[in-house]
Amino acid sequence: MEDYRGRQLKIFRGVNPLFMWGVFLALLLLPLVIRSEYTLSVLIICLIYGTHAASRNLMVGYAGILSFGHQAFYGLGAYFSAIITMKFQLSPWIGIPLGGFFAALLSLAIGFPCLRLRIAPYIAIATLAFSEILLVICKNWVSLTRGEMGLSGIPPLQDFSLFGLAIFTFSTGGKIPYYYTMIGIFILTMLFINFQAGSKVGLAFRAMRDEQDAAASLGVNLTRYKLTAFLTGSFFAGITGGFYAHYISILAPDAVFGIGEMVEIVAVTLMGGIGTFFGPVLGAFVLVIGLEVLRGLSDYRLMIYGAVLVILIIMMPHGLLAGLTQLLNKVKTRTAGQLRKAGS
Amino acid sequence: MTNFPVIFEQIVNGLVLGSMYALVASGLTLIWGTMKMLNFAHGELYMLGGFGLYFAVSLLHLPPWTSVPLVLAAVFILAVLLEKGLISPLLGRPDWDVSAVVATLGIGIFIQNFAFKFWGGDFQEVPYMIPGTVTSLGVTLAWHRLYILGLALAVLIAFWQGMKKTRFGLALRATAQESEAATLMGIPYRKIYTLTFSISASLAALAGTALAPIFSVNPWMGSGPLIKAFIVVILGGLGSFVGAILGGFIIGISESLSVLFLGSGWKDLICFLLLILVLVFKPAGLLGGKEW
Repeated sequence: MEDYRGRQLKIFRGVNPLFMWGVFLALLLLPLVIRSEYTLSVLIICLIYGTHAASRNLMVGYAGILSFGHQAFYGLGAYFSAIITMKFQLSPWIGIPLGGFFAALLSLAIGFPCLRLRIAPYIAIATLAFSEILLVICKNWVSLTRGEMGLSGIPPLQDFSLFGLAIFTFSTGGKIPYYYTMIGIFILTMLFINFQAGSKVGLAFRAMRDEQDAAASLGVNLTRYKLTAFLTGSFFAGITGGFYAHYISILAPDAVFGIGEMVEIVAVTLMGGIGTFFGPVLGAFVLVIGLEVLRGLSDYRLMIYGAVLVILIIMMPHGLLAGLTQLLNKVKTRTAGQLRKAGS
Repeated sequence: MTNFPVIFEQIVNGLVLGSMYALVASGLTLIWGTMKMLNFAHGELYMLGGFGLYFAVSLLHLPPWTSVPLVLAAVFILAVLLEKGLISPLLGRPDWDVSAVVATLGIGIFIQNFAFKFWGGDFQEVPYMIPGTVTSLGVTLAWHRLYILGLALAVLIAFWQGMKKTRFGLALRATAQESEAATLMGIPYRKIYTLTFSISASLAALAGTALAPIFSVNPWMGSGPLIKAFIVVILGGLGSFVGAILGGFIIGISESLSVLFLGSGWKDLICFLLLILVLVFKPAGLLGGKEW
């Protein structure tokens, strides 16, 4: 029997550091090979989805809190950073982290009501309702968010030089500095997740995910660790949302708080394999690039995401990699069996 | 402005709306009670009811009274196929609670965007089942609203009695209580699951046909009622049939009254705040069991 949350309590030795840094290095070197602005913009979108999904994976895959409202934190970060930079002429470099903190702060507003809920469907509804509340507020608080008209003219990132080593020029409109900024956010998020998963907190998360009562009886403070999961997961989603706002420079309520955004992130996490370290990123690259390559299908984007969700959950609940490996093993044993039969 | 007839009219509107929420939510709670799953595609089955009525009345020129049963039958058959093909492979897996949510979410998004792509995003009008209005006690009401109220009450009462008195109801309750023991008693629980899912889908579609003339038909018409229905079932207690009806009327009336005081844009906020309050103070809901 399969459980895609992988209910086995293994000591987490962390992802192979060589592999992790290899992936980071490969992503850092990509612009040396890829010069096309279009490809870079696709990669940036992949990384935004990947980081957003990784922060959801922290909650769903590691801590076992089945959040269907993670887009709320992404949207909070995006709107908060956009609004304070526009109203107070703050630099986006300050706005983005503040957006992350704001998302983390408001995550407590849903984190506390979720504390008493034990079964997954209740948490799914509660978190979804939280993001719907924000959608209603965002659509109706017109004086602040301009409602359905959306925000436009969100300031882009500002130029800066990194200790004289490298100069980030955003004003020329090139994609490369944005790519490196997003890579920075991505690496930061992944390093944090790796650190957290390997620490005592990560162990408590997995204990809580696998068997809440047993974990509590062994002294895991459920309240504390659940809130920790909400705070950290929402912080990184908020930062990613903030980057998205300044990168894309327009924001509409449905683009960040909508159900469509939620479905995409759920599909991305599921495709990569819930509870795996690089899974969400892999899922983002496969889905985003896949839909870009099959250009004609982009009209049917959400239909495809829906179908992908259903197919994955039925056939590959552990994600694409695990599913393909399993399929391969099945084929292997079958051919081996046939060979043996042919031999005898 | 907010004099008595206006408030009275809003309460009646709340009753009408609440009866529909009760109908949609009773389907959800029925599925939860028997199969222990949340159906995120429930709103889209409601939407299919609306679109079905629109196609039958506006394109095939069928009279409304024959269209409604036809639409219900079509949605019933679709639901049987969905359950057999996409839901039942997940049955019995240890991650059933989560995988069912994900699968139905995928089905719902697929149907919604299928409707958008192939039937268009325009808002389609459907005529009232009974045209005309009635005025009494200084309040003017469309006959259609009274039809909705009567329909919902009739269906819910019939259903409630059916659960109590028929063999199917007995089998359903037995499966809900303990599916393994029910199997030992010779109840084919898979068949009960399929029937439960399809009946609940038809209830959603019925609500869709009833509300289509009031709110126009479009691909997104299901998302609002779905989330409302979730709130209703949690307020009433997941799995409780009477709770769903009670919750439906509470949400319906508080929503119509909050339109008066807060305006239509903010009215949804009241329901969500109610939900959060219930989750914090009484997660089991008003009439719910021990599970939460």
